[in-house]
Amino acid sequence: MDARESSGSAPAQKATRDIYLPPERRKISGGDTTHISAKEFSIYYGEFEAVKRVSADILSKYVTAIIGPSGCGKSTFLRAINRMNDLIPSCHTTGALLFDGQDIYGKFTDEVLLRKKIGMVFQKPNPFPKSIFDNIAYGPRLHGVNDKKKLMEIVERSLKKAAIWDEVCDRLDKNALGLSGGQQQRLCVARTLAVEPEVLLLDEPTSALDPKATAKIEDLIQELRGSYTIMIVTHNMQQASRVSDSTMFFYEGVLVEHASTAQLFTNPKDTMTEDYITGRFS
Amino acid sequence: MNIGTRKILDRSFTAVGIGSIIVMAVALMIVVVPIITNGIGAVFFTGTVEHRKMLFSEFKRGDSEGLSSEVASSERYRAKVYEMLTGFEAELETMAPEKKAEYKSKYAQVRAALQALLGPLPGDSAPMLTRFKYGQTRWEKAEEKLHDFLYESKWDNSNPDVMSKEYFVSRAISFQGTSLVKLFPYVKNNLEYMLLPEFTVYWGFITDSSVDSHFFGGIWPEIQGTFFLAVGAMLFAFPLGVVAAVYFTEYARPGFLNSMLRSANSTLAGVPSIVFGMFGLAFFINTMKVSESKSVIAGALTLAIMILPTIIRAAEEAILAVPKTYREASLSLGSTKWNTIATVILPAALPGILTGGVISLGRAAGETAPIIFTAAVSVGSAIGLADVFSSPTPALSWNIYNLASEHEAASQIRHVQYGMVLALVSIVLMLNLSAIVLRARISKKLKG
Amino acid sequence: MAEESLGESNRTNAFVLSARKRTMQKVIKTAGEGMLFAAASFVAVIVLFIFYFVARDAVPFFQIRGFSEFFTSSNWYPADDPAQFGSLAIIYGSLMVTLGSALIAVPMGVAAAICLSDILPFSIRQYAKPIIEMLAAIPSVAFGFFALVILAPLLQNNGGPMLMWAWWILVSPFMILAVIVISDLLTTKITDQKRRQQLHIFFLILFGLLSVFLLFKVGTILYGIQILTGTNALNVSIILSFMALPTIVSVSEDALQAVGREIREGSYALGATRAETIIKTVLPAASSGILAAVILGIMRALGETMVVWMASGNSSQIPEPWFNYLQAIRTLTATIAGDMGEADQVTGSARFHVLFAMGLLLLVISFISNLVSERIVVRQRKILSGQ
Repeated sequence: MDARESSGSAPAQKATRDIYLPPERRKISGGDTTHISAKEFSIYYGEFEAVKRVSADILSKYVTAIIGPSGCGKSTFLRAINRMNDLIPSCHTTGALLFDGQDIYGKFTDEVLLRKKIGMVFQKPNPFPKSIFDNIAYGPRLHGVNDKKKLMEIVERSLKKAAIWDEVCDRLDKNALGLSGGQQQRLCVARTLAVEPEVLLLDEPTSALDPKATAKIEDLIQELRGSYTIMIVTHNMQQASRVSDSTMFFYEGVLVEHASTAQLFTNPKDTMTEDYITGRFS
Repeated sequence: MNIGTRKILDRSFTAVGIGSIIVMAVALMIVVVPIITNGIGAVFFTGTVEHRKMLFSEFKRGDSEGLSSEVASSERYRAKVYEMLTGFEAELETMAPEKKAEYKSKYAQVRAALQALLGPLPGDSAPMLTRFKYGQTRWEKAEEKLHDFLYESKWDNSNPDVMSKEYFVSRAISFQGTSLVKLFPYVKNNLEYMLLPEFTVYWGFITDSSVDSHFFGGIWPEIQGTFFLAVGAMLFAFPLGVVAAVYFTEYARPGFLNSMLRSANSTLAGVPSIVFGMFGLAFFINTMKVSESKSVIAGALTLAIMILPTIIRAAEEAILAVPKTYREASLSLGSTKWNTIATVILPAALPGILTGGVISLGRAAGETAPIIFTAAVSVGSAIGLADVFSSPTPALSWNIYNLASEHEAASQIRHVQYGMVLALVSIVLMLNLSAIVLRARISKKLKG
Repeated sequence: MAEESLGESNRTNAFVLSARKRTMQKVIKTAGEGMLFAAASFVAVIVLFIFYFVARDAVPFFQIRGFSEFFTSSNWYPADDPAQFGSLAIIYGSLMVTLGSALIAVPMGVAAAICLSDILPFSIRQYAKPIIEMLAAIPSVAFGFFALVILAPLLQNNGGPMLMWAWWILVSPFMILAVIVISDLLTTKITDQKRRQQLHIFFLILFGLLSVFLLFKVGTILYGIQILTGTNALNVSIILSFMALPTIVSVSEDALQAVGREIREGSYALGATRAETIIKTVLPAASSGILAAVILGIMRALGETMVVWMASGNSSQIPEPWFNYLQAIRTLTATIAGDMGEADQVTGSARFHVLFAMGLLLLVISFISNLVSERIVVRQRKILSGQ
């Protein structure tokens, strides 16, 4: 593979990194590099600038939450990271969005290989209308694993990682649409994990779930913290404070503040952030 | 207007709407019920010994011993008829010349009616056409012929202002005073013993080929021809239609070209079916020379372009109905666009696409106009699979027209026509019913 | 390659490809898309071919015979010497059965569509829709067979009584309604309660008697009618209307459904009955879609071959008087179907080409009405979504 754009920007400046990490949370070894970094990055829908010149570094293997009122561009930003916005014909970007120091929107980037490395879980659980096994095996099969035994291994490992193995191990051949909403969402996480991504993007993963299922997903995120770089968009500020290490606050397409979760929720620097987290507006 | 009148108007408005749906349902019943009841008669009917004779000698089917004993018992009763005929013929010779001439023409009519009823009489030369080799094979037809034998039909033209009316004169009366007068009550009373009617189930109607242009035998060549044409059309149109639908839904960008293609699609859907037939003749046969003259392949191609718009539209709808989330999920797992279409979208849309395909198959099977000039012949035997590139075929739709409108004895073989219509209608309605069931199951599945 | 990378989460830069590889990818993608496009544009090519090949064989006719005979004369003697190709009566026959079937199918179809979209509950609608689909599915030759073998003898033998009963059953309900509405309308202006009631009853009795008289009189006239042939324009119109109905119902139902619930609720909130809501607000909003449905349904009747070929009597004449639906006629489609076998296509005589001229006429009419109905639908969608 030809590494055309050499990794000039990584690793990130050590000085700024610490502000993202809350002191009371467990440190992760190896989690000290910038995994994804945006530089003056803007996203347009036609003429409309949905995300405005965002610059930020996202650290490897930590959980980063993105909060903000609806329509603030947080989902758009998240979807830009694995180029899901390509589905919208009028969407285009300026600035740079780097993953491992390589431009995601570079001329020679293959979005298919990129998406294999950056997995995504969506707002509504979206299992395929196939069996549970086939859902998990879909990704590995795409990437060339056809050996039944190996597939079984991957399926089991992924389901265990997503903490759903015990609930479905005896009905892997049943249609995935028969599962409950919470189970479906964990299945979707497992399906994403089965292709061994490095980054996990979660787009409001609990907004369609009941509180019990939500708690399970949050536990799962804690389990996965340290193994994957996780970014989660959420409406729910309590959820952001519970699960994340650092938090980004978006307002009208602008990244207003990016700090460690503890700091952002207890001592925000920006008055806008303060107003939002105290519920002056939403 | 006062409120009472407004309410009456409202109710009657509802009644008109419901009424028109009821009228449609009733119309459907009025069309379908006689077709079903009469069509079933082609397979289940009261058959006579003549039917069994025909089956044995034309198709080598039936039990020869049982048949010969039946024939023997019927001949016992027929022998008396023949006796009376020879007796009268002898009597005829003894009559005065002018009387003889008068009776002779009347006697010829009687003989002809008797031939129609019982088959060739002794002394007749062996008939050329198979239809004259046997008497009436169906009991209800035999009863009609018995009436023809007993009564002479005449037309009353006395009043020039109204249409002339048919009335009947007993033949027995006109033979009063001769020895033949005994024949009429004898035949009337003993017809049952001469023809031995019994309930018959003739599945061969579906699987046999026809004998003497559908006087006897079945409709297998037509069923097979319809099958070849419809399936052949699907082989061309289905893959092409699905691929085109994939293009329209997944790749086409809005613009002038795209809207032109869509207009072309709806134009093609609106072309009258007879024009497809002319195009098939002018293009596939006269220009492309896919075959020397009419052939199955030319007909199938013509039908294919006729059903193409329907398939494209159904496939498009089915693909658009696949939730967007499937697409996103597949792409986010690192699947290519093409892979996503092949492994997620098409399988999820498959039932819907198949529904459209099944309905189009029914349409291809039922259409007549496009195959008149390209594929259909009125008489012919079933063709082999290898002949589809060179020879035309009989087909149900075309032969229904042909037998009902152009056959030289259309009114005598109504049961065959009904049987054909029933076969065609049930093929088409079965296909449509399965499409309806398929769709109901899809919508249930999508609901959860 | 993929298999190995699945095991460990290695940090390679595998998602960035070399320029050559990326170009290759793009070429393959474009080629694939091009193939799909070719398949999709096949339909357009076919449409062009149909126009070209039908026109190619139609033009020689006009070159040989000119236009005026074809459109103005009704002497259709293609086999005579010299042959005459006046097709006016044939074109007239086509228009006649199309109009006849539209007269039956349009009111019924629109009423049924309203019923399906606004009146029937969902549970009943589920059973009503398959009826319409089955009606659409029955092959045209089966309808033709029905028309020829069952309906034609019925009309021929019992035509008068059938017409009378049809008149009574269809018209009496509307007569009763008209009597009620007219006598109501005539008395609304009167303020005196008692006088108004008296007058109302008087009008009811007066108009009631009048309408009974009318019903009876026309009924007896119809009873006396003798139908000379069962294969006539009326027979064909009835059958064609049932073939056009499914199209009209389903397309106008779509148009009615596209009119939002808000419009209906707004009207109900002002105290309108359901009938008034539908007639005064829903129908005008859906009118262009319904027009498109009517055009499509009419086209189905105009282009239908088998029914008219089997049951129209195939006699090339303009009925006497011109609106007499009880006489045999002949249509464009039936002429094409029936004469093609006899026309000498090898030498390409005028007799062969005149049939293509007829085909071209049908093709052009259907093309224009398709375009019109498509434009109408697009415009309605724009208007409804724009509001």
